[in-house]
Amino acid sequence: MKLRLPFTLVFVAFALYLLLGPLQPYLRETGALTPFYLTGVSLGELLGHPSGLLLYVASGLQSCFALPWLGACLFTVILVALAYAQKWAFRVSDHWFGLCWVVPFLLFAHYTRMGYLIYTSKAVAPAYVPVLVVLLGVLLLGCLRVGVSRWWKGWKSSRATGSKRMVLLVVNVLLFVGSAIAAYSYSFRDPNFLNTLRMKHAAEEGAWEQVLQLAREGKEEPTRAQVCLTRLALFKTGRMGDELFTYPEGSAQYNAPQNQWLRLMIGPLLYYHYGKTGFAYRWAMEDMVEYGERPAYLRYLYSVARLNGEEALTKRYERTLARTLFYKCAREKEDQEAAAIKPLLNYTDQLDGDDGLVEFYLLNSFALSEGGSREMVELSLMNGLITKNLTGFWPRFLALLPTWQGRIPTHYQEAALMVAQLQGGAPVADLPIDTVIQQRFQQLIAASARMGDNAANAVALRPEFGNTYWYYYFFVEGLKTN
Amino acid sequence: MCGCSPSLPTTYEEASWQSVITPDNFGATLPPNIAPLNFRIQQGDASEAVTRLHTGKGGEVVIGGWDVCVDEDDWHKLLEQSRGDTLFCDIYLKSDDRWKHLPTQHFLIASEPIDPYITYRLIRPSYVTYEELTINERCLENFDERVVYENMRFEDSEQGQCINCHLPRNWNQQQQSQFHVRQAFGGTVFINGDQVTKVNLKTDSTLSAGVYPAWHPTQNLIAYSVNETGQVFHTLDPQKVEVIDYASDLILYNVETKTVQHIERTASEFESFPTWSPDGSTLYYISAHYTPRAADIDADLDSNYDQLHYNIYARDFDLQTCRFGPRRLVFDAEALGKSASVPRVSPDGKYLLFTLADYGQFHIWHKSADLWVLPLETEGQASQPSTTPEASAYPQTSAIALQAVNSPESESYHAWSSNGRWILYSSRRDDGNYTRLYISYFDSNGQPHKPFRLPQRSLDNDDLLLRSYNAAEFLLQPVQPSQRQLRKAIQADAQPSAYTGSALAQPEADSIPMSALQPTSERRSTAVAY
Repeated sequence: MKLRLPFTLVFVAFALYLLLGPLQPYLRETGALTPFYLTGVSLGELLGHPSGLLLYVASGLQSCFALPWLGACLFTVILVALAYAQKWAFRVSDHWFGLCWVVPFLLFAHYTRMGYLIYTSKAVAPAYVPVLVVLLGVLLLGCLRVGVSRWWKGWKSSRATGSKRMVLLVVNVLLFVGSAIAAYSYSFRDPNFLNTLRMKHAAEEGAWEQVLQLAREGKEEPTRAQVCLTRLALFKTGRMGDELFTYPEGSAQYNAPQNQWLRLMIGPLLYYHYGKTGFAYRWAMEDMVEYGERPAYLRYLYSVARLNGEEALTKRYERTLARTLFYKCAREKEDQEAAAIKPLLNYTDQLDGDDGLVEFYLLNSFALSEGGSREMVELSLMNGLITKNLTGFWPRFLALLPTWQGRIPTHYQEAALMVAQLQGGAPVADLPIDTVIQQRFQQLIAASARMGDNAANAVALRPEFGNTYWYYYFFVEGLKTN
Repeated sequence: MCGCSPSLPTTYEEASWQSVITPDNFGATLPPNIAPLNFRIQQGDASEAVTRLHTGKGGEVVIGGWDVCVDEDDWHKLLEQSRGDTLFCDIYLKSDDRWKHLPTQHFLIASEPIDPYITYRLIRPSYVTYEELTINERCLENFDERVVYENMRFEDSEQGQCINCHLPRNWNQQQQSQFHVRQAFGGTVFINGDQVTKVNLKTDSTLSAGVYPAWHPTQNLIAYSVNETGQVFHTLDPQKVEVIDYASDLILYNVETKTVQHIERTASEFESFPTWSPDGSTLYYISAHYTPRAADIDADLDSNYDQLHYNIYARDFDLQTCRFGPRRLVFDAEALGKSASVPRVSPDGKYLLFTLADYGQFHIWHKSADLWVLPLETEGQASQPSTTPEASAYPQTSAIALQAVNSPESESYHAWSSNGRWILYSSRRDDGNYTRLYISYFDSNGQPHKPFRLPQRSLDNDDLLLRSYNAAEFLLQPVQPSQRQLRKAIQADAQPSAYTGSALAQPEADSIPMSALQPTSERRSTAVAY
C-alpha cells in the first residue's frame, strides 16, 4: 500500500491545524521577534560571515510568521520537502517512508516547544535554521549518493509480501503516529501563554473589546500579564470604574523558567499606553541590545519617538521598519494611539527606575501621584484602590465627581461606601449612590458578621460579592506581581 | 549604487536653489588626506543628476547618479591639487528634459593633515545591558576599519563583559594605550607595543578601579577618575537618561610601579575627567561641590540632579617630585548657571576645549551640551570683554561657544589631533539619539570651521547603524596587538595595584568622611556609554 500521499496529507493537516489553530498567536509573535531586513545587506557581507547566507534566508522565512497563514504554509512545505529529501537521498522505500517523518515532526516540535523562550533565545531563526541545516545536509548526501552511486547501495526496496508487508505497514504507521503524538505533546500550548499573546496582539491593534473578550474567555487563573492587559483595555474603553473587579484576578506562575516575563512580553506596551514613555523606550532599547533589532522593539522606539516629537529619530526608525517585510509603520493608527495617550503625559518628569517590575511601578506611580488630566486622576483613584492605599481616595473621587455627569461608576460607588464606613471623611448621604449598591453593601456587612473569620468569608461570600471592590479589598491577598 | 562616469551637459540653465545633500558637508574645511566625502543628492523632481568635482588647477572628476561616491585615488588627487585652496562641486539636475546647474558649492582644503587613524567604541545607546561591544580602529585616509577588540567571546548569560575608555598616550606615538574591561575577566588592559598586560586598579582605599583616564605626556603616569556612577531614567523627558556620579575622586597611577595614589579624595567634591596640559605640568579636571540635603545621597541626587554644576579646576604638577599643588579654579561654570565637562587642552597649550551644558557631567545625554573653548592665556586674569555674539550671553567669561561646531542637539566628547588643527567630537545632531562623529578644523586664530561627518564608503551606513560612536580619539599609528593577543592577556589574571597614599605636595584633610553609599539595584558603574 502506498503511504506517501496519506502520510503527506496527514502531516500537512496536523501541522496546519496546530500552527493556524492554537499556535497562531505564537507564530505571529515569532515574526515580530525576528530581525530581518530586505535592504542594507550585501551578498558579500552575507558570504563573509560564517553561515551568513543560511541565517539570512532562515530569518527571512521565519519573519513570514508575521502572516501566520504564509508562515505556516512555508514551514509545512519545507518540512514535507525534508521528508521527501530523506526518501530520495537514502533511497528509502515506501514501506519505510514513515521513518522519514520522524525528523520533520521533531523539528516541528523543536520550534513549537519554545514557548516563552522565544523572547530570550538568542539563536537566530530557531524555527528554520535547524530545518534548513538538516535539509541541506540531506540534499548534499543525496547528491553524493547520486555521484558515487556505485558505492552507495541505499536501502534495497524489497517486495515484501504477505505478513511481512503488513508488519512493515504497521511499523511505519506507528512511527508516523508516534512522532505526531510526540510533536503534539511537546508543542507548547500553555493556555495562559497563548491567551496573553492573543490579548497582546489585540492591544497592539487597538482592539480593546477583543482584549476584554479574551480575558473573559480564559479558563485558567490568569497571569499578571493578562491581568495588566485586561486593566489597560478597561481603561481604554472607559469601563475601568464599572468593571475592573468583575474580571478574573490571579497571579498564575508563568510556565517557564523564572524571568521578568511580564516586562519581556508587554513591558513597553504597558508603559507606552500609560504615558511612561521614557520607560517604554528604555526597555525596548535594552531588549534590542540584548536580543537584536527585532521589529517588536523597534515598533515602540518609533512610537515613543513620534509621541515625543523627535522627528528625525522617528524617521530613522520608520526607515528601519520600512526595510522589513511586514512591519512598516502605519501613521494613521499611530495618530489615534497618540491622541489617547497624550492626556497621560501631563505630569512632571522625574528620574526613576523600576527594576523591571512593570506592574509594581505603574501601580505605585499612579497610586501616589497627584493631579494631572482627568484620565490621570482616574488612574490614580483606581490604582489607589488596587493597591488598597485609600489615603488619597476622597480628593480624587470628589475631583472626578463632576465629570461622571450624575452616574458614578460602580466600583467607585462601592469604594465610597466602604471608605466612608471605615474612615468617614465625606458625606456619603449626599452622593448619588445607587440604592442597589447600598443594599448590597449592607448585605455584605451582615453576611460577613455571620461568618466570622476571613478565610470562611472569602469562600462563602465570593459567589455573591466576588465582583465587587469590597471583596477585592477584604479578601483578595497575596497577589505577586513581577 | 554609486554612479559611473557620464559626460557633463553642454546646455543648461542656472538654478537659484541649493542642492540638498546628505550628509551636508558643503562648506566644510577638509584635511588634505581625508577619505572621500561621499554624499547623496536629494532627488526631488529630477530624473538624472551629474556631479562635477574640480580644482582650480584643472583636476576634475565627473560622477553620474544620485549617490556621489568618488574613487579614492581620484579623490586624493583632487585634494592634493586643492591643498590650501578650494575644491569645487557643481551639480546638474535634469527634469522635464532640461538640465539645470545648481549654484557651485565648495570644500575648503586645509594645508594641515589630520592624524591618519581614529579609535572609538561602537555601542548601542542603551542604559544597562550591553552586547556586541567593539573597540574599532578606522583609517581616516580611506574606509578601512578593523575591530581592535570585541567582547562577544566572553559573554555568557550570567555576566557580560563591558569594554570602554580606549585611550592612547600621545596619539599612540609610542604605541601605548589602555582600555578597561569590566565584569568578565575585568581589569585595565595596558598595551605597550605588542605587549599586553592587565592590571586591577581597584584598591581598598579608592572608590573604584580607574575610570576616565588621562595619560601623562612625558611620564608613565595616568591620572584617573574613580567613580560611583549610576544611570537613572527619565519618565518623560526625551533626554531619556541621566548619568550621575554619586561619588568621584581622582587618582594617579604609576604604570611602571603599579601603584595608586589619590589626588582628590573629598566626599563633598565630585571630581572627574582629568586631562593634562601638553607639557605635563598641570592637571585639569572638573569638580562639583555637593552638600547633601538628605541622608539618602542617592535619592537626594536623583531628585536634584539638575542642581549639580561642575567647574573646571587645575593643579600644578611637579615633574621632579610627582606631587600636586593646591587646586585653583580655571572656569566657573556654576557662576553662569552651567556645568562643564571633558576638559581637553590643545597640543599647543593655548586652548582648553570643553563641553558646557545646563547641569551634570555626562553631557552626551544633554541636548543643551555644546563645545566651548577657553583661551588659556586668560586663565587667572580678569575676564575680558567679549566681542563675539556667541559669548555675549556670558560677558563675564572669555570662554567662547564654538557656534560653527554646535547644534541644537548634544555635542560632547572631543579630542584634539596631534597638530592641534582638528577636533574630533561626538554629536547627536542627526536625530538626537545616535551619536555620530564629526570633525572640525580649528585654525591658528582659534576659530572653528564648519564640521564634516566621518566619511563612509556606504551612504546608508550611518542610517542603518543603530549604534553610537563613543569616546573617539585620534591615533597617529594603529594599535599593534592582534585580537588574539588581547584576548589572551584579558583571560589572564589581573596584576594587583597597591595604594601608596596621597600624591599631593601638601596633603589635604578629607573634609567629610566618606559615608557608605546606599546601593541601588539600578546603579551600575560599568555600562555607561558616552
